[in-house]
Amino acid sequence: MSREGQKLDYAAAGGNGAGGVGIGVLSLDLLGQVLDRLREPRDRKACRLVSRAFERAEATHRRALRVLRREPLPRLLRAFPSLERLDLSACASLDDASLSAAIAAAGAGGLAGLRRVCLARASGVGWRGLEALVAACPRLEAVDLSHCVGAGDREVAALAAAAGLRELRLDKCLAVTDMGLAKVVVGCPRLEKLSVKWCREISDIGIDLLAKKCPELRSLNISYLKVGNGSLRSISTLEKLEELAMVGCSCIDDEGLELLSKGSDSLQSVDVSRCDHVTYQGLASLIDGRKFLQKLHVADCLHEIGQRFVSKLATLKETLTALKLDGLEVSDSLLQAIGEGCNKLVEIGLSKCSGVTDEGISSLVARCTDLRTIDLTCCNLITNNALDSIADNCKMLECLRLESCSLINEKGLERIANCSPNLKEIDLTDCGVNDAALQHLAKCSELRTLKLGLCSSISDKGIAFISSNCGKLVELDLYRCNSITDDGLAALVNGCKKIKLLNLCYCNKITDSGLGHLGSLEELTNLELRCLVRITGIGISSIATGCKSLIELDLKRCYSVDDAGLGALARNAFNLRQLTISYCQVTGLGLCHLLSSLRCLQDIKMVHLSWVSIEGFEIALRAACGRLKKLKMLNGLKTVLSPELLQMLHACGCRIRWVDKPLVYKDC
Amino acid sequence: MASGTATNADPDQQTVRSNSVEQFYFPRPGQSLPGIPPFFGPPSSSLYLANDNEAKVGNQLEPNPSQSTDWDPQAIVSNLTFLEQKIKQVKDVVQSMSNRENQVASGSCEVAAKQQLITADLTSIIIQLITTAGSLLPSMKNPLSSNPAVRQLSNTLGSPMGFGVNANQRPSVDSKTDIPDIGKASGYEELINSLNTTQDERDELIKGPNPCGGEGSEPTPMEDHDVKESDDGDHEGENLPPGSYVVLQLEKEEILAPHTHFCLICGKGFKRDANLRMHMRGHGDEYKTAAALAKPTRDSGSDHAPVTRYSCPFVGCKRNKEHKKFQPLKTILCVKNHYKRSHCDKSYTCSRCNTKKFSVIADLKTHEKHCGRDKWLCSCGTTFSRKDKLFGHVALFQGHTPALPMDDVKRKRRERLFWTAVGGLNWNCGASSRVEDGEINEEVEP
Repeated sequence: MSREGQKLDYAAAGGNGAGGVGIGVLSLDLLGQVLDRLREPRDRKACRLVSRAFERAEATHRRALRVLRREPLPRLLRAFPSLERLDLSACASLDDASLSAAIAAAGAGGLAGLRRVCLARASGVGWRGLEALVAACPRLEAVDLSHCVGAGDREVAALAAAAGLRELRLDKCLAVTDMGLAKVVVGCPRLEKLSVKWCREISDIGIDLLAKKCPELRSLNISYLKVGNGSLRSISTLEKLEELAMVGCSCIDDEGLELLSKGSDSLQSVDVSRCDHVTYQGLASLIDGRKFLQKLHVADCLHEIGQRFVSKLATLKETLTALKLDGLEVSDSLLQAIGEGCNKLVEIGLSKCSGVTDEGISSLVARCTDLRTIDLTCCNLITNNALDSIADNCKMLECLRLESCSLINEKGLERIANCSPNLKEIDLTDCGVNDAALQHLAKCSELRTLKLGLCSSISDKGIAFISSNCGKLVELDLYRCNSITDDGLAALVNGCKKIKLLNLCYCNKITDSGLGHLGSLEELTNLELRCLVRITGIGISSIATGCKSLIELDLKRCYSVDDAGLGALARNAFNLRQLTISYCQVTGLGLCHLLSSLRCLQDIKMVHLSWVSIEGFEIALRAACGRLKKLKMLNGLKTVLSPELLQMLHACGCRIRWVDKPLVYKDC
Repeated sequence: MASGTATNADPDQQTVRSNSVEQFYFPRPGQSLPGIPPFFGPPSSSLYLANDNEAKVGNQLEPNPSQSTDWDPQAIVSNLTFLEQKIKQVKDVVQSMSNRENQVASGSCEVAAKQQLITADLTSIIIQLITTAGSLLPSMKNPLSSNPAVRQLSNTLGSPMGFGVNANQRPSVDSKTDIPDIGKASGYEELINSLNTTQDERDELIKGPNPCGGEGSEPTPMEDHDVKESDDGDHEGENLPPGSYVVLQLEKEEILAPHTHFCLICGKGFKRDANLRMHMRGHGDEYKTAAALAKPTRDSGSDHAPVTRYSCPFVGCKRNKEHKKFQPLKTILCVKNHYKRSHCDKSYTCSRCNTKKFSVIADLKTHEKHCGRDKWLCSCGTTFSRKDKLFGHVALFQGHTPALPMDDVKRKRRERLFWTAVGGLNWNCGASSRVEDGEINEEVEP
């Protein structure tokens, strides 16, 4: 708990103890101001729990809410009348009925202030729920409906009633067609941001109408649509468009880019990654027309690069800040030309570019001294020399990705660590670095993300270096760092208490006592423990009790984990949303207990549970039926599970992935 | 008596003569000619096969299929009798020819003149023979018949001039025969050519998977092609200056024939490219090379061909070259579609609405795809047959929006389920509004 929190905590407790004086005399407004200044959510929670005054203040002041379960939703909506942002993406088993009922319970005007609603992956919500929501929220501005794979024209048409809508995300709403899009663009003419990524039914006709009806559009994502050049002709008429993403639009070619170039100068960011028919010629003509481009993503679409493109790039000298060339064959001269032409670059992506050498990098960074993000993933020709020149030139460096650059070692990283005090993210996966390298990297006290997968020479000593100075570390990847033992974890949790994502897969020296140390990481949300054969239910229970925020847990091939472990999870890990227990030694009883208790669990992978009987699966799944959204099971179960159950799961918006492997059933 | 003298007098000459006739009748072993009695069987059956199909199609598409099925046994018997007589005549003529040769063996120039006369007789008899044989086919009497095979046959027979097909087109056996090289021989050759042409067509009919060609009810590649180029070739924007292109005018019969390959020189149509290539040999030696006869590789031969535009044979039509604002048609497919759409009966009726009629089958198919369903509805109540038209309308009028097609039955059922579900939920609304652990995620406010 932060210092501010502690102080408030004390004051609030004192106030209550003194019988009404103290914090309670302050007006709700003032208390609200105080709450607004608390940065840590946990501190606010402490305040709320300890003082009724704070609780009241929060009730009137709270603007944002993320609900995790369906049952308290009506109560919460009534409790926080001035909500502006409501996130229901993680709300388990939310469906039309519960959403409508909650909105009805909030009463007239209860949601009048609501502006943004996130319903991503809320696959149980259909048009009725959305209609109720839109009717209750007259000021609705942003809706996120992405990954509701069942959502179609009716759902989108329900949203079209929100005339003030400015932002809409429909990613992967697979059933949305031109008709639904037309409904939205006619109903919401003030739309500024729209994403229809993966809505494969939308065609040129729909995009054309969009361009005609929504002149305010600033950001548009049409990635993976089957639209052609005609769409780009329509899009080029949008006067205010700033961002355009069209990843994987294989029907778009150079002609389309030329059409796009004939528009206003508002366009700042273009993403044509994986557009197979785009060549450098088209990009050159695009740059020709759009002189103020800031971001250009051309990953995995160019096969060659011509002089014309390079010279055009130079015309963007003043504006271009981000350039992604992933997968392109580059030469030293090209990198030099980019360096000379675009010296305002902040981000460069050269992932999987063949031909990137030390010379190329040094000529690039010599001019681009503002670079903050450099992606050199799989540029396996580069050595310490490249790192030296990066360190010497890019003092602002924040993110460096070096996966599979196996020629680098601790000497190069020492330079980087010494010269880049702002380094926040570094990816050293498969670089074969050792403890000495970590000793140098530990100087980067701002480090948030550290990826060390497949660096098997890293030992507890290296982890201790990191933990000594990198207290802000949020993500640590130690995949297959199999020299790490329990002592390393002990050292880690000593210094890095903020870790949220931790990957320890295949670090098979770790035992229950190591997991006992991890139990002190209260903020841990994602933990991967794949194939830790020595851990048992004891270790799992210390994690379940300690890591209160745990959302995702991977226990695949932890052969010694049994019902005791699942029981501990069932009793303690209330926030757990995603769980993998394939190959674990659990029985039907443990599974039933788990699935009936965990009210937030939405995604479970349970392949090869040979000790679970068919009845066990049946009962466990029935217990969790309304909540599950994703399920991975053996194909053999498809025929033996009752059809009603599968139907029910399907009706609740659950998608089942059947694994085609033989069903082994061990009778116990 | 006569035949005996003939054989004795000049056996060589006789052999050649009879060979010539024989080859004229049977150009190649295994082939059969239309209208020749001994070989009447197979071709006629193949034609009836075609005709059967036609009848089937007629039943599907035309309300009154009676015209294609008229069949008068008596007329056929009388026709056959006539044929017998004619064949006897031919025999007589040949015999008398050899007789006369025998008698006047001395004056060779005289013989030549006689031969000419006899040849002319022979020609006219054979034409009669073929005409009668053709008339045996039921649809022959109806000039508007839609049976392409018969139309083609009548077409060829009706105009023995053919389409300028050169004698070179004859089967190679023919060229060896000793046909008297005198003025009248051209008539002979033309007849042979026209017969050969018919032969080609016949071959196609026998071999072709769908004898009815474009008129069949199944889609054929040719029809696909038609769909793609289904506009009349309205190339108003093309504006080729007059004289910069060759204008070719096909005859009506040729246009209506179910061909896809057309001779760029004379416009004659073929169903197979291989047959066209055979035909091209007649247009000059350059088409006789192995390269020209070989299967064409892609994009060869396109550059040296002159710019050709087409005229519609219908006088008074704007697409006719006599029209003062003549607008040529770009391709033969354009000609075909234009002619059918503008100057032919609309014989294909939509089976869904029974009102819309078309003369091009591809048009019917396009229409049938949309007819009666896919009503694109606007919120103002206007319906459209096509989505893009609806969207154009919506774009034009403020506030109009597409109306979603509602599945009423499903909707009601879902509605019922929904409210049952709402009623069944036990909402704990009266409980305290205190936030409990695990219900919400705390979030940092901005």
